[in-house]
Amino acid sequence: MARNGASLEAAHASVRRLIAEKLKFLVPMTIIFMVGYIGLTALAGFAKDFMGTKVVGSVNLGFTLIAFNYLLSWVLAIVYGRIAADRFDPLAAKAASEITRRG
Amino acid sequence: MNLTLGIFVVILLITLGITYWAAKRTSTTADFYAADSQLTAAQNGFALAGDWCSAAAFLGFTGLTALYGMDGAFYALGPLVAFCTVLFLIAEPMRNTGKYTLGDIIRSRMQTRTSLLAAIAGTVVVNFAYLMPQMAGAGVLVRLLTGISYDWAVIFVGVSMIVYVAFGGMLATTWVQIVKAVLMLSAGAIILVMILSMVHFNPLTLFADAEQKYGVKYLLPGNYLKNPFDQISLGLGYTLGLAGLPHVMTRFYTVPDAKTARRSVVWVMFLAGAFFAGTTLFGLAAANFVGQDVIRAADRGGNLTLPLLAQYLGGGKGSLGGDLMLGFVAAVAVATILAVVSALTLSTSGAIAHDFYVNWVKGGRVEGRQEVWLARVTAVVIGVLAIALGILAQGVNVAVLVILAICVAASANFPVLILSLFWRRFNTGGVVGGMAVGLASSVILAMIGPAMRGADALWPLVNPTVVSLPLGFLGAVLGTFMWGRDAENEQRFDAFLLQVHTGVASK
Repeated sequence: MARNGASLEAAHASVRRLIAEKLKFLVPMTIIFMVGYIGLTALAGFAKDFMGTKVVGSVNLGFTLIAFNYLLSWVLAIVYGRIAADRFDPLAAKAASEITRRG
Repeated sequence: MNLTLGIFVVILLITLGITYWAAKRTSTTADFYAADSQLTAAQNGFALAGDWCSAAAFLGFTGLTALYGMDGAFYALGPLVAFCTVLFLIAEPMRNTGKYTLGDIIRSRMQTRTSLLAAIAGTVVVNFAYLMPQMAGAGVLVRLLTGISYDWAVIFVGVSMIVYVAFGGMLATTWVQIVKAVLMLSAGAIILVMILSMVHFNPLTLFADAEQKYGVKYLLPGNYLKNPFDQISLGLGYTLGLAGLPHVMTRFYTVPDAKTARRSVVWVMFLAGAFFAGTTLFGLAAANFVGQDVIRAADRGGNLTLPLLAQYLGGGKGSLGGDLMLGFVAAVAVATILAVVSALTLSTSGAIAHDFYVNWVKGGRVEGRQEVWLARVTAVVIGVLAIALGILAQGVNVAVLVILAICVAASANFPVLILSLFWRRFNTGGVVGGMAVGLASSVILAMIGPAMRGADALWPLVNPTVVSLPLGFLGAVLGTFMWGRDAENEQRFDAFLLQVHTGVASK
């Protein structure tokens, strides 16, 4: 049982490392898309004329920022997929093997 | 209109064929609720796109853009951004922790009957608030498109959905969603190419023409959402509400592991996101080519904008190409509704049969075969109820319910779900507090707001999420502290975290 306990502890420690690693990336990424999108809705609500500033032809700043938000979401999705595969999955696999080897 | 009916019958026959095929492969509880968790990332990505794009998205976004300019584009962007929240915080933990329902996660975290009951309440309220306007919308739409009466249209949609779900379970629902997504994306691609060919492949022309025709104000925000806080509510409701919609989140149970769940979100973000971006161009094109007056004359809310645009692009009223395009888009709109109401019925059946009856009443002591039978019967009962509610809703303003569904999802389900997954001290008191406060504040504020009371509103916002969401979180935190420390629950959290992040149960 002592060996089991030690292995369980090791698995929990690996999970804590995994969570720390996730937070390191997910907190900034969440802030980026929330600020990008909620900021856009706040500008739409409170700075209508600013959003009407022309950028290209008849396309104004508002539509440009909307287009930018589409791109941002897609880029973040790809980046998240990469980071998760490179950094999260190996740590998760380590914790999983520590717990299944137990006993 | 006969052509519409014809295309529509073809789609119906395909979905019934799918149901027959799926029914033969659906025997266990895992088959019924989660398609035995055997879908690939691409399949689930298409199904998610079919699930998430309701008629409000398919028809509504184009109409809003055509009539109100930039605000329509905001409506279209939100549902894509929402998947960032789901991708980063929800999809993988859902797959790792639950089995068939949202209630499963709360139950495995808290292991109390009270918290399960609160989770069931959240699911059932959100699903019915979402289902009723879909049924009413189906009635109006099918009547407009095919000429059959409202009541028969609702019954027809309801019976189809009952057949898909009761016989084919999640597998049939999934493939109905995939077929719908493929049809929707094809329609979008065809319309986009036709529009672009008319403006010499320069989309900027669409903006310039719209500005010339309707003035500079048309391309500014605030034509539809007058109150600035309503803009922010819309944004918050989308970004956090999607993660609290049980009928979409249960799709993550249909894949084998967290990696596949993750990849399926990336799929849906590109598939649905491209369509949403397209609706903004469709709306501008419709305003330019078809004209706001014609759009308003067909339907004051602009819901027939996309069919009208398709008809125009095909060659106009009376031409074969025009009729064909109109029929195709109209049939996709009906397929859209069928796919969404099926998912809602299945998810509600999970909350009633699996969460409430099997786990709450019987403490999990129900034999597998009996549970499947129960789930099928429950789906039939929910479907019949949905038909009755849809018929009663004729002529009633159901807009408030649409807002309510997403608002409750963001204000009650989301705080409870996210705190369950990430906060050690969160306990049964917090689940009950978050659900109760989130639900009550959403319902009360929506009922006294302009969506329900018009000019007599006691409260200025159509969408109360900007207030009810912080209240929901506050209720969850206060409930947790009032419940007191729960040492056993906090100790169990390590094992729970292990499962959330690796998918391996430590017991």
